[in-house]
Amino acid sequence: MIDLKKPLPQELIDLPESDFQMVQSEEIHDEKFQTKPIGFFKDAMIRLSKSAVAVTSFTIIVLIILSSLIVPNITGYGYRQQNIAAKDLPPRIPLLEDIGIADGTRVLKNRKKEALSDTSRYPEGSVLEIVREFEAKGVAMVDVKVDAYVYAGVPTDEYHWFGTDYLGRDLCTRLFKGARVSLIIAFVSVVTNVIIGVIYGAISGYYGGKVDIVMTHFAEVLDGLPYVVVTILFMLLLGAGITSLILAMCVTGWIGTSRLIRAQFFRFKEREYVLAARTLGVGDIALIFRHILPNCVGPLITRAMIAIPGAIFSESFLAYIGLGIAPPEPSIGILLSDGQNVLLQYPYQTFFPAVLISVLMIAFNMFANGLRDALDPTKRGEE
Amino acid sequence: MFKYILERFGAMLLTLFLVMVLSFMIIRLMPMNIFENPETPPEVQKKLEDELHLNDPIPVQLFYFLKNVITDLNFGTSVKIRPGADVFSVIADRIPPTVMLNLLSLFISIPLGLICGTVAALKRNTWVDNLISFLIVIFISVPSFVFASLMQYSLTYIWPIFPTLYDATSPQLSIRLWSMVLPILALALGPIATIGRYLRGELIENLSSEYLLLARTKGLTRAQATVRHAFRNSLIPISNTLISLLTGIMGGSLVIEKMFAVPGMGGQLVDAIKAGDHFLTVALLLFYSATSLVTILIVDLSYGIIDPRIRVGGTK
Repeated sequence: MIDLKKPLPQELIDLPESDFQMVQSEEIHDEKFQTKPIGFFKDAMIRLSKSAVAVTSFTIIVLIILSSLIVPNITGYGYRQQNIAAKDLPPRIPLLEDIGIADGTRVLKNRKKEALSDTSRYPEGSVLEIVREFEAKGVAMVDVKVDAYVYAGVPTDEYHWFGTDYLGRDLCTRLFKGARVSLIIAFVSVVTNVIIGVIYGAISGYYGGKVDIVMTHFAEVLDGLPYVVVTILFMLLLGAGITSLILAMCVTGWIGTSRLIRAQFFRFKEREYVLAARTLGVGDIALIFRHILPNCVGPLITRAMIAIPGAIFSESFLAYIGLGIAPPEPSIGILLSDGQNVLLQYPYQTFFPAVLISVLMIAFNMFANGLRDALDPTKRGEE
Repeated sequence: MFKYILERFGAMLLTLFLVMVLSFMIIRLMPMNIFENPETPPEVQKKLEDELHLNDPIPVQLFYFLKNVITDLNFGTSVKIRPGADVFSVIADRIPPTVMLNLLSLFISIPLGLICGTVAALKRNTWVDNLISFLIVIFISVPSFVFASLMQYSLTYIWPIFPTLYDATSPQLSIRLWSMVLPILALALGPIATIGRYLRGELIENLSSEYLLLARTKGLTRAQATVRHAFRNSLIPISNTLISLLTGIMGGSLVIEKMFAVPGMGGQLVDAIKAGDHFLTVALLLFYSATSLVTILIVDLSYGIIDPRIRVGGTK
């Protein structure tokens, strides 16, 4: 036996290398995998693509994004191009107009019957049908169905698919342009919130101790402020505009993400593999971003996906209370609140933005649900 | 428990104070013109500005503001909506409709949500469940003001079942309540769906759990086991969502009040923001915060009643 407490005898140190020999001559290999390895994300994507709801909602989202990019350029109208003569025109869509839907007609109520032959008020061909004839105070009155386009003196080859607003701007152009603006606001604010939340949560969770206590308390106080109040205040301070909307949504929006990240860091920072990496001399930054953070990506994506419809909602909500983006830029919220003012006269001005925002929100929520199920680690390998 | 209440109350006061300071600073940092008539003589302007302490440094102004608020509930003077009027008097009669609208929406949504969730869970994977789940997704996703527009157009214009606007002048409570049905419904649909979704998930989990099997083996009927054990246990996570539901309702009521002309704080706030009446805006935001914070406090404390395990001494 060699006594380890004493220095090694000199003859043991001087042994030449050639005296040594490998016990086993052939190399040892693990058996090769016969199948391709499936990582966590690949597995999640397989499960996601099998969910019909998720695929459908994803398709709808992509379609809306694409049309928000393309439609405003191909309608032939600018989103701020005004035409007072063509104001408040009802929707008129080629093909559909032949079967009586969106044919650009409107019923005018309580008109004097004798005025119908006056071509300066009712241009030729504008009166399509007399819906109802009646008498009021001895004057013959009618409810008359007119072709609103001819009635307004607009060229007959002009089509406004979703009608026009009170300044004669084409609503189709404005709606998809507005969808683009709303989506940009939603994406940018969510991404900003995620970045701030990740950094804040990572620092507070990784370092722990006093740093964590101070940071958590700060976030808690900030979180106590009502979201609506804070957003309104910051919109007042920053003024109308896309940037101020995004900033206002970021004042307290990151707190949820930072909490999630902090909890995940507490779970993972004591793991053996982190200890191993630290022993090998990996620095704090690399440990945070390369070794621990990837564990949080699943819940993070789900959270961001759920936050996007929330941001779209916030934008329209702020537009409703007069704190949206500056006119004449459209957004879904601006169009909705403009439409609300004339809801009973021109319901189509509310209808199209309302349908778009509803479809968008439903699609995002459904997709987020699908994503959450797909990224759920407990369901791994089920399908 | 007492220490816990005290702690929550302290936190609430701190938040309120923060809102106060924050909103005041922000309003003061904004360019403001309180004189609509450009021909107001300079000496009058000077005198008015001195009276409102507009020429002092901002910290001094903040001190005056806080002093006035704390000592005699004086939030300043309205400059645009009702020029010259004391802000508090402008707000005072606006509080009851808002509180009524918000609380009614919340209280209506709880039983309806519970019913939806229970039915969906008990009839799991039948067409009833599918229908309810489908409606839940729609109600959660579609914003309350879109529902409000839809209902206003269909139920007051095409089929005039309800009045278009809130009838504040009617002496009869029943008529006023009837005209409040639509705004309440618009605000409550989202919370109903949220509660329904949570309850459905929780109940399904609890119904297939082992302790329920034990309860059945003990001799309880299915109904007894469901109501006494599964249902009760499912309620706890739901009480956690009440706060976020309430904040949602309060935010939504800003818009809904305006749409249905409910003479509450929400509509007033929108008006004040649009008119640039900043003193009024600050005071309204404060009242908004106070209302929501007090309700959150109540909900927070009532956890202890729902779930004895949360009856803690302030530790987390």
